[in-house]
Amino acid sequence: MKQEKITGFKEYHRELPEVQPVAKRIKHYKEFTAAYPAEKLHQQSARCMDCGVPFCHSGCPLGNVIPEFNDAVFNEQWQEAYDILSSTNNFPEFTGRICPAPCESSCVLNINRPAVAIEAIEKHIIEIAFSKGLVKPFMPENRTGKTVAVIGSGPAGMAAAEQLNAAGHTVTIYEKDDAAGGLLRYGIPDFKLEKSVIDRRIALMEQSGIAFKYHAHVGVNVFLSDILHEFDAVVMSGGAMVPRDIQLSGREAKGIHYAMEFLKQQNNRVAGKDPLAFAETESNIIDVELNAKGKHVVIIGSGDTGSDCVGTSIRQGAKSVTQLALMHQPGTTRPLYTPWPQYPDIYRTSSSQEEGADRLFATVTKEFIADDKGNLAGLRVADLHWEFTPDGKRATSVENEGSERIIPCDLALIAIGFSQPEQLLIDRYELARDARGNILADEVTYKTSHPKIFACGDMRRGQSLVVWAISEGRECARNVDQFLCKEASVLENRDNSLETQAFGK
Amino acid sequence: MENQQKGLYNPDHEHDACGIGFVASIKGRKSYQHISDALTILENLEHRGACGCEDNTGDGAGISFQVPHAFLVGECITVGIKLPEAGYYGVGMLFFPKGQEDDCKELFAAAAEQLNLEILGYRKVPVNRNGIGDTALSVEPEIEQVFIKRPEGITADLDFERRLFVLRNFASHTINNTIRKNETGFYVASLSSQTIIYKGQLTSNQVRRYFLDLQDKRMVSAYALVHSRFATNTFPSWALAQPFRYIAHNGEINTLQGNLNWLRTNEKNFASPFFTPEEINMLLPLVPGKQSDSASLDNMVEMLMLSGRSLPHVLMMLIPEAWDENEALDPIQKAFYEYHSCLMEPWDGPAAVCFSDGKMIGATLDRNGLRPIRYSITNDDRMILASETGVLGLHASQVVKKGRLRPGKMLVIDLEKGEIIFNDPLKKELCSQQPYGEWLDKYKITMGSLGEPRITFTPLAHPQVFKYQKAFGYTTEAIEDIIVPMALTGKEPVGSMGTDTPLAVLSKEPQHLTSYFKQLFAQVTNPPIDPIREKLVMSLASFAGTSGNILAEDPMAAHSIILRHPILDNYYLEKIRSIDTGTFQSKTIQGYFRADGSPDALKKALDRICRYAVDAVEDGYRMIIIQDRAIDSRHAPIPSLLTVAAVHHHLIRKGLRGEVGIIAEAGDVWEVHHAACLIAYGATAINPYMAFASIRDRQAEGLIDTNLPFEALRDNYISALNTGLLKVFSKMGISTFQSYQGAQIFEILGLSNDVVSQYFTGSTSNIEGLKLDDIAEEALIKHRFAFSNKQIPADRLPVGGELQWKRKGEFHLFNPQTIHLLQLSTRTNDYNLFKKYSKLVNEQGEKACTLRSLLEFNKQQKSISIDAVEPAENIYKRFNTGAMSFGSISWEAHTTLALAMNKLGARSNTGEGGEDEARYEPLSDGSSMRSSIKQVASGRFGVTSRYLTEADELQIKMAQGAKPGEGGQLPGEKVDEWIGRTRHATPGVGLISPPPHHDIYSIEDLAQLIFDLKNANRAARISVKLVSKAGVGTIASGVTKAKADVVLVSGFDGGTGASPLGSIKHAGLPWELGLAETHQTLIKNKLRPRVTVQADGQMKTGRDIAIAALLGAEEWGVATAALVVEGCVLMRKCHLNTCPVGVATQDKELRSRFTGEVDYVVNLFKFITEELREIMAELGFRTIDEMIGRSENLKQRDNIEYWKHSNIDLSRLLYKEPNPDNVSLFKTEEQDHGLDGILDWQLLEKAQPAFKNGENVSASFKIKNTDRATGTLLSNEISKAFKSDGLPEDTLNFQFYGAAGQSFGAFAAKGLTMRVEGDANDYFGKGLSGAKLIICPPPNAGFIPANNSVVGNVVLYGATSGEAYIYGRAGERFAVRNSGAKVVVEGIGDHGCEYMTGGRVVVLGKIGRNFGAGMSGGIAYVYDVYKDFADRCNPEMIDLDPCTEADRDELFGMIQKHFDYTGSATANFILKDFDNQLGSFVKVFPKDYKRALLKQEATKVSK
Repeated sequence: MKQEKITGFKEYHRELPEVQPVAKRIKHYKEFTAAYPAEKLHQQSARCMDCGVPFCHSGCPLGNVIPEFNDAVFNEQWQEAYDILSSTNNFPEFTGRICPAPCESSCVLNINRPAVAIEAIEKHIIEIAFSKGLVKPFMPENRTGKTVAVIGSGPAGMAAAEQLNAAGHTVTIYEKDDAAGGLLRYGIPDFKLEKSVIDRRIALMEQSGIAFKYHAHVGVNVFLSDILHEFDAVVMSGGAMVPRDIQLSGREAKGIHYAMEFLKQQNNRVAGKDPLAFAETESNIIDVELNAKGKHVVIIGSGDTGSDCVGTSIRQGAKSVTQLALMHQPGTTRPLYTPWPQYPDIYRTSSSQEEGADRLFATVTKEFIADDKGNLAGLRVADLHWEFTPDGKRATSVENEGSERIIPCDLALIAIGFSQPEQLLIDRYELARDARGNILADEVTYKTSHPKIFACGDMRRGQSLVVWAISEGRECARNVDQFLCKEASVLENRDNSLETQAFGK
Repeated sequence: MENQQKGLYNPDHEHDACGIGFVASIKGRKSYQHISDALTILENLEHRGACGCEDNTGDGAGISFQVPHAFLVGECITVGIKLPEAGYYGVGMLFFPKGQEDDCKELFAAAAEQLNLEILGYRKVPVNRNGIGDTALSVEPEIEQVFIKRPEGITADLDFERRLFVLRNFASHTINNTIRKNETGFYVASLSSQTIIYKGQLTSNQVRRYFLDLQDKRMVSAYALVHSRFATNTFPSWALAQPFRYIAHNGEINTLQGNLNWLRTNEKNFASPFFTPEEINMLLPLVPGKQSDSASLDNMVEMLMLSGRSLPHVLMMLIPEAWDENEALDPIQKAFYEYHSCLMEPWDGPAAVCFSDGKMIGATLDRNGLRPIRYSITNDDRMILASETGVLGLHASQVVKKGRLRPGKMLVIDLEKGEIIFNDPLKKELCSQQPYGEWLDKYKITMGSLGEPRITFTPLAHPQVFKYQKAFGYTTEAIEDIIVPMALTGKEPVGSMGTDTPLAVLSKEPQHLTSYFKQLFAQVTNPPIDPIREKLVMSLASFAGTSGNILAEDPMAAHSIILRHPILDNYYLEKIRSIDTGTFQSKTIQGYFRADGSPDALKKALDRICRYAVDAVEDGYRMIIIQDRAIDSRHAPIPSLLTVAAVHHHLIRKGLRGEVGIIAEAGDVWEVHHAACLIAYGATAINPYMAFASIRDRQAEGLIDTNLPFEALRDNYISALNTGLLKVFSKMGISTFQSYQGAQIFEILGLSNDVVSQYFTGSTSNIEGLKLDDIAEEALIKHRFAFSNKQIPADRLPVGGELQWKRKGEFHLFNPQTIHLLQLSTRTNDYNLFKKYSKLVNEQGEKACTLRSLLEFNKQQKSISIDAVEPAENIYKRFNTGAMSFGSISWEAHTTLALAMNKLGARSNTGEGGEDEARYEPLSDGSSMRSSIKQVASGRFGVTSRYLTEADELQIKMAQGAKPGEGGQLPGEKVDEWIGRTRHATPGVGLISPPPHHDIYSIEDLAQLIFDLKNANRAARISVKLVSKAGVGTIASGVTKAKADVVLVSGFDGGTGASPLGSIKHAGLPWELGLAETHQTLIKNKLRPRVTVQADGQMKTGRDIAIAALLGAEEWGVATAALVVEGCVLMRKCHLNTCPVGVATQDKELRSRFTGEVDYVVNLFKFITEELREIMAELGFRTIDEMIGRSENLKQRDNIEYWKHSNIDLSRLLYKEPNPDNVSLFKTEEQDHGLDGILDWQLLEKAQPAFKNGENVSASFKIKNTDRATGTLLSNEISKAFKSDGLPEDTLNFQFYGAAGQSFGAFAAKGLTMRVEGDANDYFGKGLSGAKLIICPPPNAGFIPANNSVVGNVVLYGATSGEAYIYGRAGERFAVRNSGAKVVVEGIGDHGCEYMTGGRVVVLGKIGRNFGAGMSGGIAYVYDVYKDFADRCNPEMIDLDPCTEADRDELFGMIQKHFDYTGSATANFILKDFDNQLGSFVKVFPKDYKRALLKQEATKVSK
């Protein structure tokens, strides 16, 4: 190993690529993160210590082989870096942009120093690979003659489709929207993930032989029974799209919307599409246009979706943007109850929050208050007092007496997560469900109660990260492949070497 | 005798070592005095022998001399035998099993009759059994002499000897095959017309008393040769006592298994004009079954000698000196050795051999000189030669010469001619007997002389390389972390922190076959070698072709290919494939098997290959190339190790192996270990073509960052393999490729006995395991991967994950989950969390990792309440942390461990880096950073009298788990001010730990060091750290007999230090096996109550500890887990100084990141103990003592289903050794260290005025060789009273007269001056700690002191300060690891000032070879009158400079003192003419040291 790599973690500090200043970036919906200059990228990759026990491996749901690709980047071996990265991750261009990077939380360097910039490096590998023409559609040499339908084109479905296609099966993806990507496309704003990035991937998938059927809402305008008849196996990867609601007095007021309704409209607009079209097949299409311009916007929920609403509202020209969180404001250092290598509960500021949101912590919404026209005018909120366990974990909360007050609000966006998948299809085909209403499928085999149907992604595990969706899609695909071929699959395995798994006794 | 081995003890592992000596009249004058004197020598060598569980049962001793004709004639008359004249009868010493004398005699007579030999009669040898131990008596044979008449017609003495030889072998075979075998057996101690041997299971002191004959003055001989044996075991055997018929051997044949294999194949070719074919048949097998290495060597010597060579000639063949690449050697001698190398391989190992055929007597040493021989020649023409000087009281005035035998040298007394023949003339004559040089010139084949190959292969293209890599089991880790670094640096890469992956047999990853093979290594009974610093004794040269009939000297034997090293690149391989000299051709055989998965497919393939190999030999091919290139989708490669071993053993069985060389053209060889395995199982050379192809491929793909051309990378890689091979050889103490080849220096872990007995015949395999079809399956997994009928989308090599944890790689016990849980639980003091951790570690279930994971508890009694179990506080004292030096880990990490262990009342260990004296004083809060255990390792860094005094336990590190048999190195950059001070070294100067302790080359040496240390601190326990391997139980028994208080058995997997990757993985065994064997063997020997048994190696939980206790360990070590608790995250970067958590680094910034705390470590031990107590309650044990060795409480899990695990059999591990005498299963008896009555008590008494009032004291004493470690105990008292300051110079002034025993002045402290008038033995001034030692011959000596040896080998080893003045010569390895003493000496042997790091050495006379090897500090001034010093140095680390003005004063001062103290004539001469003589002095200035001094100078100036 070169000396620079041996001591890089001491010599270089963590640096992330430059971003456009707030004033500039809120004027548009495009991505605003630059690439590292070559030297920076090299230095950042030199910070990786090639640990004896690379905790990042275990931190990543995909099992990305991180030290190896860092090393390839360090040595500027782009083909090698791309090969390593793409062997475990179908879509590094997505995870490199929007993954919360549990790998970085578990990075050994993060014990006492800022973690290696794994996510940024990942993004650079894939973008460099694209720019150098290294990313090519995978054309299987032989087709098995087996057909698979994948229902839902979010990251789980896309990953399952790519993997199954690579194994030689003929794959058709059914998507209820007009384009593929699921939440990636209509949930996440362009300024975090430009849609051309998705289109680029979809084009590759199409070239490799995967068929996409759009506006095909299975259970609505397409019958699952037909699909089951036509295909040898079915992968359900429809996501968990039913949003959590907040049932308070005044909920019926006009101007209270789910985050997805709001975000999808803006994504449609950016794509030059009609935000109100296709209500019959697509989800989250409502009958009014939403615009934050000149409004007091309050976002209930402090997660990533909430942030997306913040950034979008700011770009639309909101008068004020307030984000409410039930939780207390976390500290800036790792609390005891999320010790390394766990994902730490610390105060974070998303790029959108940085753009100008008032963040209220430990604040509970008590009531929606409408004006006499039935339009939302404000929220009655109160402060919470939290009690903690000795290791810093939240235990209970009580309302602070006398803290009740009303904050102005013309547009309230509910971003407190999703509860379960759409139940329609599950009901109709009497698939077994878990307690939360997700499709019940084994976490090793991904098999549902129907012998030909597999399920993966949010639809199986409930709402989660993109990286989990991809991971589930891959693992599910391997099981489908095994099911179709009646022998061990040669698709990459998350936890075992192919040699032992596919070729062992 | 038990036929089936039930436990782990195996008699094959027995070792012995000894003291030897003889007295001879150079003129051949016969006298009883010689016999009596020899017996006196024997008695004075008693400390070199040993006794067993009873102090009156020895390991064996004996004497041999010329047939005492007059005595025998007289005695025979009384029993009615009339003897013919001298030389016309043979006398045999026969050992009969009691009560079976008549049956034996009947068969003996029949054999004699068949050979036309007349038996004149028998005489009972009278013995006195008084005082002989019960154990010895239990198997005492009936000893009788038989007299056999020399037939008419036999005129030459030797012809009669030959006939007697045939009789002896034939009769012995017949009787032992007919008569029911018991432990005594029938044995012929000697049968000769020239010599007779009296020997038995006796102590040195018993021989004279037991054999009444020996007290008879009619017994006369021109010489008498004695031997005293120290065996590792105490099982009685009268036959194993020495001397043997032709030799007395002090040493160990490391390569015995291979030597015997080669012999077996050679036997088929035996032909000699001196024996008829029928006689040869009667002689065979030459080496009968179970017997010692020395006995086997004697058999071999005898055969070679009686077939026409002289004894010295035979010994030069068997134990050649280092000749290969020795430019200084006479070409005639070199040709002799080279020719004989074509015939046979050396019997390699440390050896001092005395030999005699009755007409001449001589002695020789092995090439390393690893056993001492000292001699004196008297003015009445006697030579007294022995392992030590002073064994026979001689007046100095009688002595005309005192000398020592040098490595590889020989001397002989021709008793008939009445002269001594020293090495050079002797060898010159022997080597000129035949025109060996001409034969070689004419017939030998060198690579250069071969023509261009007929064809060469085009390099493989990338897709093929990739496919083959998959088929042969390459991983990205193997390529990136092993092959490429080797190609770039020419060295084997280094790693840290031991290993925690599954044993090969437990792993679910398809294994390389060599992973089931564990390298053997030297510990205690013989030393490993330093292949870098002592390269001159190593050789990789091999001779491929036919060895023919070793009984004859045939010029055609030289018709062999001579390879400089065993790794062939493709070009040379093709040259050999194309070779055609008319009589020398090569045959290629394909090593594949049908890949259809059918049963026996592999067996059929191996049968086919073996058949083809026999065909090839019978067709006259001289070289077989086993190639595995021709694989395809239907044919999978056979692991090359299996093919080579199968062919090798098949040819041995057919008696054809000697006819042919075997080259492995092997795709599956890329690591040093792979190559070593192949060679050890018979390969002559290896072509690792896939490793080459992988390097070429990586380079072509742009994945190697270098400008070097491929050829350079390839050559680097070959050089890395070769260096690595030397390291593997040397860790077993083997010097040459030839001896290593076929020597099977491995033990097998996880192959079934069917496989082992058929293909790896003779290797140890204790737990069964894979059958042949299972081996096939592992090959097939890789093959299916390579030749998958499906396209693999992400087609990459498997990651490996052996060296680092990888998610998709091999399982590791320390993985993200377990590390996290262990750290969190101990930090938060959360026992429930710890239980989660231990559950993950303990319940390995599907992912079995350790042998203990296959065990479960097997309750034998009712459970009890945990409250009834002894309290945790009682148990803590049984815990130790591992030996990790300050230097390898940080101050913070080291002291935290010490504080925690002291808080618990347990023990921490200094490791080998010394200890900062500040730690000896308690801290203000009463806590202490002092490590209870002080380690004494081969480097002896900071091992002073004070250091030893500040210990509760002194641990002698014989080996360490991570790299048994290897030394270490701390690079100069890591030696900062602080570490330098602690280690008594100069900051910035690199420090090397030698592979061996230079004062432990044998078990009797270890006994001596234990004695030294006990003298240095009699309050401390002496512990000996061993590494688990097959036979460790036998070694542990020897160590116990050497009076260790504690034996530590370490697993192979532990270890935090930096080690070559191959060593971490492939050397040593898990502790479960070593511990069980140790416990079983100690009970078998009834030694268990005398020693505490400790175990360590990746112990992580209470369950681990409980299993260790049940297998026999009453104390335990936990190291890695404790480090993890301190924050270690198994970065495995300790060797890079970049530990990011401040544990294993000296980097200031990184050390500041250390977050470990004493309480975390305390919590760890509390938790482990709690879990242990829970298990104790469950199993119904109230105390630890109750559970030691209760292996019936364990059983092998019966729910093991995985295909690979199903054949494992742990019954030997769990075997409960019968204990009929009910000896305690744990330590209950104190060892008798023999400190009563030592000379130091007198010294101490005399010294009282100095202790009480600081008065100066003078006194004088007589001293003899049995007075050992003189001054050591006294120095311990000085250190106790006066700490490191000692006393003012010359406060205690003691004079000694006589021959001082070993370790005179060891660890002698400041203020003590000891002057010997006489001479001294080995280890003079060992660990000198400030004292002044003076030695000179008495004024009336009959010899010139400067030309004679006055002290022995390994003088001033590890000295840290003080002075020594030696008027006379010293032996080999003078001032090795000196770090501060100032010394003047008048001549030294080989390897002077090796690894020296400080101090001053002035040598005023001749110097041996390899001076200054590994010398990184201090200065030597050498008086180089003959201007040949430069050729005798090892120039690697030193500069030879002229003396400067400053040097002049220092030198003058030292020589002046030397003159003042000793009256040296040499010193006087130099001083008188100093200005002229100064020009003859060379200053030896280590480069490292020079650099460090300049740097210091520069900083001073800048300040």
